[in-house]
Amino acid sequence: MRADAQKRRARKRNLIYILFLLPGLIYLLINDYIPMFGVFIAFKNIDYGKGIFKSDWIGLQNFRFLFKTKDALIMTRNTLLYNLVFIVLGTVFAIFVAILLCELGEKLSARIFQSALILPYLLSWVIISYVVFAFLSSDTGYVNKAILEPAGKSGVNWYGESFYWIFILIFVYLWKSAGYQSIVYMANIAGIDSSIKEAARIDGANKLQEIRYVVLPLLKPTVIIMTLMAVGRIFYSDFGLFYQVPMDSGALYPTTQTIDTYVYRGLMKLNDIGMASAAGVYQSMVGFVLVLLSNLAVRRIDPDNALF
Amino acid sequence: MKKKGLLTLAMAAFLAFTAGCGQTAAKTPETAGSGPAQSAAETTGDYTKIVYSYWTMDRIPDEDARKSVEEAINEITREKIGVEVELMPLAASEQAQKVSLAMASGEQLDIFNTVGDLNTYIANNQVYDITDLVHEYAQGAVDQVSEEFLKTTSKDGRIYAIPADKGIALAATLYYRKDIADELGLDFSTVKEIEDLTPLYEKVTEAYPEMVALAGGAGGLELVHTFKDFEVDYLTDAWTKPMGAVLMGDSMTVENLYATEEFKGRVELMRDWYEKGYVLKDAATTTASCQETVAAGKAFSFIGNQAGNYGVQEASSMCGYEMGYVRLSQPYLDTTAVNSVTWAISSQCKNPEKALEFLNLTYTDADIVNLIVFGIEGRDYVKVSDREMEFPEGLDANTVPYTAQYSCGVVGSQFKQLVHAGTPEDNNDLMYRENHESKTSPAFGFTFDSTPVKTEYTAVTNVINQYLPGLVWGSIDPETELPKFLNALQEAGLDDIIAAKQEQLDAWAAQE
Repeated sequence: MRADAQKRRARKRNLIYILFLLPGLIYLLINDYIPMFGVFIAFKNIDYGKGIFKSDWIGLQNFRFLFKTKDALIMTRNTLLYNLVFIVLGTVFAIFVAILLCELGEKLSARIFQSALILPYLLSWVIISYVVFAFLSSDTGYVNKAILEPAGKSGVNWYGESFYWIFILIFVYLWKSAGYQSIVYMANIAGIDSSIKEAARIDGANKLQEIRYVVLPLLKPTVIIMTLMAVGRIFYSDFGLFYQVPMDSGALYPTTQTIDTYVYRGLMKLNDIGMASAAGVYQSMVGFVLVLLSNLAVRRIDPDNALF
Repeated sequence: MKKKGLLTLAMAAFLAFTAGCGQTAAKTPETAGSGPAQSAAETTGDYTKIVYSYWTMDRIPDEDARKSVEEAINEITREKIGVEVELMPLAASEQAQKVSLAMASGEQLDIFNTVGDLNTYIANNQVYDITDLVHEYAQGAVDQVSEEFLKTTSKDGRIYAIPADKGIALAATLYYRKDIADELGLDFSTVKEIEDLTPLYEKVTEAYPEMVALAGGAGGLELVHTFKDFEVDYLTDAWTKPMGAVLMGDSMTVENLYATEEFKGRVELMRDWYEKGYVLKDAATTTASCQETVAAGKAFSFIGNQAGNYGVQEASSMCGYEMGYVRLSQPYLDTTAVNSVTWAISSQCKNPEKALEFLNLTYTDADIVNLIVFGIEGRDYVKVSDREMEFPEGLDANTVPYTAQYSCGVVGSQFKQLVHAGTPEDNNDLMYRENHESKTSPAFGFTFDSTPVKTEYTAVTNVINQYLPGLVWGSIDPETELPKFLNALQEAGLDDIIAAKQEQLDAWAAQE
């Protein structure tokens, strides 16, 4: 009898939690699950006269263009490697920034630093691309005109030399996103029970040891989850970063072409829904498999922290 | 541990959600429609409702301004053809996508203009086969553009669209600053082709070292205009990014433009100019337009592609200096020249007859064309003479309630429209004459269906994006990069495109 009442109370309480969850679930359903229905478009030859549903099935033909040339290798390589670097360096920088900001405590300066670090995240890529252009333009850029040429070196044609862009893109990415990503870690650090830190200090740990043996291990679950989520999107690239920032300069394609930009450039003229969907399906499938695999790996090593 | 993980997950999901907002713009072509649905009331009262969408580069007018223009048009069309029109101006940058989207979702859209490769629209079955209707319901429009031109909008003997009636005989034209030319005593009358500019540019660069001689602008492919002096027919590829499979001169053998001596000579000339500092170092990537660069005092001249001779007024007003002009090539007519802008009926149109009747009016009724392009007289523009207009005192294209002035070469017939005050009086005659008397390609009327080589097209487009702007502006060295370019084209499947074009061309020639 008592057990029953308890169960009912528990169920009631759960109901409230589920209600809290509801808006999010509805959002997921409408935004992520219903559109999934559209994957079939990737296997159709869209004919507007017949309509989307009655168009002919053409099997995997829409996927062919993704693998047609050696561009396929370049764009896949670029997408994967950049994202790997972004995940690793992005996490390192975000944690670094988060620890530093937390050490500053509640001071006014901490607020100012934090705002300054987050500001780039709020700028659109188009604006950032012009900030970069102001530095790198061959005719008027700051780097050429104010640094290289006064130093007696000849200016570099930045938008024509693809090699430099590996570093430029990584730098721009970190500058833009590190501050924002650090928010999650800051929240985590702030949530660490201060008695643990205190205990470490009483045992004689200095600041670095405290970070190394207390803060970082406690951040591990967050790092794993954030990384798993990022791995799921490893086949997507930030379109603005790779398209806008290099000013769509053809000479830079060897280091700036990613799957998204390739699809955009290739299909902008053709306006073919089927091929564009094929690219989307391909990216999602690979992302899905990668999430499963990396979760599997995490479960092997550290079952407590696996996502599922 | 688990609980904390979930909390983080929720936070991360929130971040992912907010971050996602910034990325939607990149995914435009993926948007799927919800399938064809019956559109709402197609008729209003006794009149048939027709939705007329058109490409505009002006500000999209607000609803009140648009409605008042619609009402003025309807006063004419109700009586003449029993039609009520709804105007749907679409910004140039997103016009093609909006049209596709409207069709996929079943929204009513009866008439639209195609821009670029008409075959894509035919292959996707977006345009209505008007063969059996066009002569009955739109004969006036056919007479206006000439029956001959319908060849360019036909496929296998079926007619799919009516070309816009405008100055189509485009000539690569150099616009230069007259004040500097006079000051340095430069004689442009001797210039017949682009090579003749080198000695003149040398003087300009000497006298004005802080200024480049030739501006390159957004897109960075203005120089491609001058390829027309090779008498090249791109065989229905867009001139901005020709795939390379072209006809040259009177030959009927498809060849690779980029492997020709002519192309090599042109890019070597540009490399030479680049190294001498005659062109912008950033020309291949800059996003400023040529006119802006000239207006900023950073360049002496630029190349445009213009029919008739009104372009020089426009250039002067945009650059803020008095400009002179000289033609760098003579107009050469191929299919694309005619069918790059056409008017088509949507394949889902319920009343193609009525739609054609209205389309016909945009080619034949001056009042209707002027309403669509310039809006309402007195409010949006004032007449200066019988043929000239200007914006009302104190207003301009950005401040009048309604204008689509830049669509003058798109909407119906340009020859029925008013012109901006100051346009030379012989401009229309010149355009009309050159439309009909310019040299035409032996393959005039042939249209290429690219669907069999769609995959190769995508791959080749990417190769061209990568190399062409740098080559035509000299910022990459043709010595090493041209062979790489040709090699990459080969790998992307250019040979397949050439073969497919040759095959279709031969079949077409046999039919002729």
